[in-house]
Amino acid sequence: MTVNVKIAGQPFLLAHREIVQLCRAVDPEPIASHFVVIGGRRFPPKQVICEITGLDRADFTSHQARRALMRVGFSAGRRGGARQSSPPASKASPLVEQLRPLIGQWVATRGDDVLHAAASPQQVVSWLSRHGQEADSMFRVPEDDRAAGGLAPL
Amino acid sequence: MRFGFRAFPDPGGGSIRPRPIVDVVVEGLDLAPQACLLDSGASAVRFGLHVAEICGVDLRGAPTGRVGVGGDVIEARMAEVDLRVTDGTDSHAWHAPVWFCDPWTPAFGLLGLTGFFDQFEVTLASYDERIELDPISV
Repeated sequence: MTVNVKIAGQPFLLAHREIVQLCRAVDPEPIASHFVVIGGRRFPPKQVICEITGLDRADFTSHQARRALMRVGFSAGRRGGARQSSPPASKASPLVEQLRPLIGQWVATRGDDVLHAAASPQQVVSWLSRHGQEADSMFRVPEDDRAAGGLAPL
Repeated sequence: MRFGFRAFPDPGGGSIRPRPIVDVVVEGLDLAPQACLLDSGASAVRFGLHVAEICGVDLRGAPTGRVGVGGDVIEARMAEVDLRVTDGTDSHAWHAPVWFCDPWTPAFGLLGLTGFFDQFEVTLASYDERIELDPISV
């Protein structure tokens, strides 16, 4: 999906696939309020727009950024609130669904939010330190029932 | 202190059976409490070696041993560390011997008999996925 949008008075052509690819190499910053979901991770909308357009954050609002990204097909939400656009419905807890694309990765969580996910626990702690964040919990999302199981000594 | 069991995604869809897990602050590292499985089959408290690295636990000259984890026998080093749990209302801190293991395949730390189950009266109510921890007063 490709959409023409105007942000801070400038026209941009935003492509869903390119944004997903670009965000794979980007560490999400802490979510203050609004977020968009890209590649199974939550990003502040302004961070994404800065990355893809090179605009200065002072040049546009979070609302403009969120609206532009929703037009390209990304779901958006607000911490502690209901999601505003439409991932598949599930009976599982919100955190379980957030963890699903992160199976095998190390994560830091707070409440029903994934603060950060990375390949190693050291990277997760480094991110928490850099951004002044405190998690409720840190763990590797189990790959299967065995990884989540108790392990009696031999 | 009361906690609920915790659910995780099943790669095949849905979620795996929720587990009795509590978060433990190791050596005062409040920014990253370690999710730990209550495991009465484990003889002691065990973490991956990465937890010692993250928390700055010095294992030079530490006692070593070989422990069974997940059907394998692996190297482990022991240190006495400060641990703390909280349910948001109450908290309890204690000092315990912890074995730091390498390699480490479980997704969580393991809270075993020595260092955890001997510190609390533990209720595991699997029927309603509830954990209750009452510190033992000595």
